[in-house]
Amino acid sequence: MTAVDGLGLVIFVGLAAYTVLGGADFGAGLWDLSRDRAQRDLVARAMAPVWEANHVWLIFVVITLFTGFPGAFGALSRALVAPVSVALLGIVLRGAAFVFRQYGGSHDTHDTHDTHDTHDTHDTDDTDDTDGSSGAGRPVRGTALWGRVFAISSLVTPFAFGTAAGALALGTLRADGSAGLWAPYLAPLPLLAGLLAVTCCAYLAAVYLSRDAERIESPALVARFRRRALSTGVLAGGLALAALPLLPPALGGALRGVGLPAVLVSATGGVLGLVLLWRRRHGLARIAAACAPVGLLAGWALGVYPWVLPGQLLLAESAAPPVIAGPVLIVLLSGLAVVAPSYVFMLRVLRAGAD
Amino acid sequence: MIDDLTAAREQMELSLSFHIVFAVLGVGMPWLMLAAEWRGLRTGDPRWTALARRWSKAVAVLFAVGAVSGTVLSIEFGLLWPVFMARFGSAIGLSFTLESFAFFIEAIFLALYLYGWNRLSPRVHLLTAVPVALSGMASALFVTTANAWMNGPVGLVTGPTGGLVATEPLGPFLAPTAGPQMVHMGLAALMCTGLAVAAVYAFAMLRDPARRNGYHRRGLAAGALLGLTCAPLQVLVGDWATRVVADVQPAKFAAMESLPRTVDGAPFHAGPFEIPNALSLLLHFDPDARVVGMDAIAPPDRPPVAVVHWSFQLMAGIGTALLALAAWALWLYLRHRRAVAAGRAEAAGAVVAGRARRAAGAVHPTDRRAFLLAMVVAGPAPFVALLAGWIVTEVGRQPWIVYRVMRVPEALTSQTGLATYLYATALIYLVLAVALVAILRRIARGATPPDPTPSTPARDEVAA
Repeated sequence: MTAVDGLGLVIFVGLAAYTVLGGADFGAGLWDLSRDRAQRDLVARAMAPVWEANHVWLIFVVITLFTGFPGAFGALSRALVAPVSVALLGIVLRGAAFVFRQYGGSHDTHDTHDTHDTHDTHDTDDTDDTDGSSGAGRPVRGTALWGRVFAISSLVTPFAFGTAAGALALGTLRADGSAGLWAPYLAPLPLLAGLLAVTCCAYLAAVYLSRDAERIESPALVARFRRRALSTGVLAGGLALAALPLLPPALGGALRGVGLPAVLVSATGGVLGLVLLWRRRHGLARIAAACAPVGLLAGWALGVYPWVLPGQLLLAESAAPPVIAGPVLIVLLSGLAVVAPSYVFMLRVLRAGAD
Repeated sequence: MIDDLTAAREQMELSLSFHIVFAVLGVGMPWLMLAAEWRGLRTGDPRWTALARRWSKAVAVLFAVGAVSGTVLSIEFGLLWPVFMARFGSAIGLSFTLESFAFFIEAIFLALYLYGWNRLSPRVHLLTAVPVALSGMASALFVTTANAWMNGPVGLVTGPTGGLVATEPLGPFLAPTAGPQMVHMGLAALMCTGLAVAAVYAFAMLRDPARRNGYHRRGLAAGALLGLTCAPLQVLVGDWATRVVADVQPAKFAAMESLPRTVDGAPFHAGPFEIPNALSLLLHFDPDARVVGMDAIAPPDRPPVAVVHWSFQLMAGIGTALLALAAWALWLYLRHRRAVAAGRAEAAGAVVAGRARRAAGAVHPTDRRAFLLAMVVAGPAPFVALLAGWIVTEVGRQPWIVYRVMRVPEALTSQTGLATYLYATALIYLVLAVALVAILRRIARGATPPDPTPSTPARDEVAA
């Protein structure tokens, strides 16, 4: 395996991490579209400490792509202008809206609902208790609106990324952008892929949130998110199956050949996730559930490989010279060796039983 | 409608300006937060701890906005300049790769800091702010090296197909302007943060004299100390940076100094004044040394002179004014400290000469309207200088995107309709900026811990 192959693998790992971690944050944003305060608080509490670190995976993928495969980055930047711009808009609005909502809201009405939740929801912003600003009163004007912006942009972003993946699989994109700004995405497969991405995010988030609800001992929320996880899980599986006949022959063939293990991982993870949810094993269900979209992503990547734009641009042709790829790979692996344990440490500390 | 090239350049300018203004606060604030929490832990003074908590919320919001606007930039490089990225993405890749890890570390430890107040021991909690402050600064410096590479590309060789190929992964760090650019940027981030924070408290104390209490004085003192300490250092580093530019980017330097002709014994312009031979003396320690003017640059390679020249003058002017403010603040502080010490000696029974003069000095600097007013004005000033400085760097490099290697129009995307893109971005960033300022103001409002009871007022006065 060359350093360039290693970089390709690292990009895939970054994409998978972004799908599973960042995707769940987008899904949580969808479940924020609710009138129920306790549910919105659970979403905020689950997302607040992790979403930024999860978001960095996207930056990581973008940077590793232009460092390791600058040619591919140039071509994709030119071919994917429309969905990437929409996703970018969604990312900016989602991130900004989340913190605006978190710090602009009036904190003193925060925990008037489920008494069970009081203790836990409050420690998301426990800084307020002590410096006395919880009485600082009215929320900033427009905070409720930012809440809506947060939910809607959480829907738009994965949809845009999904259509991009769909159009790449379809092979209609051109490296010089001559396929058109919007046209390549208004086909059945890209649109279906967009829906599939949104559904996967909603599914992942529901599975994770059902476990988080268990942790704060709120049976009502556990039941609600379990129900939603089951229904979105079935829907995601259905959409994935519906996409199969739409795939171009080459990609379909790859999925029966080199991509078969990935398809099996995805299918097994999906079914197992549903079974574990049904049997109320929410902790284990999280792991199985994460396998489903990762397998899907791996199948897509193996199906498109060795192309970046099928029939147009080969990944290997677009790579950085080995003299750059080698040192960069070393930096990437060393960096990940520091970041991964730090991330786990952060989760351990913040997920530990509330003080 | 403006043409696509102009629109793309404006878009880059807008996105960079937005990102820089908020990102420097995200880089500098963790240092203040760390210092305040450390002081609170050391002295047991709840006002320092309250400041640390208040500032950590501002950091949370600023970091989020810095993160998303930084994402916009990294993707926009490709959307607007795909040819540049396709050819040189790997040349500047290591800077960004390192930046992404700094970013990971910052996000992870900031989460621990923000949500760990009650889960970690005070000492461990304080320690979590260290990686936040270090990696925030590191990410700013790493990204700056990518810009330094564009100002002086190194490690390019002609490849088999005739095009230039990057062969030096450390290229950005070896670029001739990397050193001064990094230090200049790092100090600028600290200066902007310190003076912006000081201005917030100066404004509050100016508007409501009841707020001239220990909490607000500490907030002002911490910010002013950080911002004003950097001011003299920044003047020195600015001088260093200018010399390096004169050496390696003569066209940019000629634009900065507005030198139409190459001359021996160039004069120095400071506003309306002209000092003969001074520029040659400053640059080369020789009053008759030759300074390259714009006539030595081929006409198609000349940057626009007026914008670069006036931006440079503005930045240097603000830097000088802040240096003067730093000197004044230091003098007020020393005088006040001496007066307080004398007052104490007097209270202990000693005979002190010049009592009246000392009494005047005993006025705390924050009880002087003129000083507070100066600190309020000094809040936005370094931001103006920061943006002016980036205009000097970027416009001064024109018409090149990679100095003497690739021109800006060659790098442009073939996508059309970029003006619409620009207007949409401008609108969104305007809305975000307004909302962000409203949120930061809300964070600044609210009850503050009272000063201790009058049994220990003298100690408080000295500390403030």
